[in-house]
Amino acid sequence: MTNADSPARVELVIPCKPEFVGVARLAILGVASRMRFSYDEVEDIRLAVGEACTTAVEWAERNGRTDSTITLRSEIANDKLTVDIYDQAGAREDNTKAEDEQETENIGALLITLLVDEIKIEPQAEGTHVRMVKYAGQR
Amino acid sequence: MDTRTIDNKLPVIELEGEVDVYTAPQLKQQMINLLESGAKQMIIDLSKVEYLDSTALGVLIGGLKRMRETDGNMVLVCPSARIRRVFEITGLDKIFDIYNTADEAQEAVGKETG
Repeated sequence: MTNADSPARVELVIPCKPEFVGVARLAILGVASRMRFSYDEVEDIRLAVGEACTTAVEWAERNGRTDSTITLRSEIANDKLTVDIYDQAGAREDNTKAEDEQETENIGALLITLLVDEIKIEPQAEGTHVRMVKYAGQR
Repeated sequence: MDTRTIDNKLPVIELEGEVDVYTAPQLKQQMINLLESGAKQMIIDLSKVEYLDSTALGVLIGGLKRMRETDGNMVLVCPSARIRRVFEITGLDKIFDIYNTADEAQEAVGKETG
């Protein structure tokens, strides 16, 4: 098992396309299942990561960047799981979204906020970096 | 994704597996087809769904809005606690009529249509 001195890392790179979001979910399910998370918490992580990737995919479609990739880096340190999600989907600046698109994105953002313990979203040169942290045994 | 129709007035869309950013567009198209064919009531059966995300929720909300605009209604069948939880944490369980079985949903919609 891992200890605090040497966190285990798992990295995955997927195409920034709708059909690959399921691959990211499956990978994070495997990672989270190795930790002391409850069944519900593993589901929370799967959903949160899925939502973050979905948001990236939707921005890539809007910005014409569907040839880019999403990089997921998970770090398992004792009871703390950190997932970093990097996309190159371009800037998240667009006021021309349809109402239902905006609604979906709001629900996605709400879900992430409710499902993980910490969330940080920061714009980068080519896209966005999302960091989420979930602690095992919090409930 | 499979659509079956109980009678002309009451179409049921039965979903299976994962309804996400990849598959939700199919659901949207199915719903549009039914709306354009004049459906006033609709049942979306999520009994066999094992994963559902914000994209699916967005499509369902859009469908519900359109149905209610024409005085119709759309109800959900969702026996799975895991899937229902997604509706609960987003507060959408208060907006949708959610039933445990297809029979209950049919009965409820049947009463509305009279």
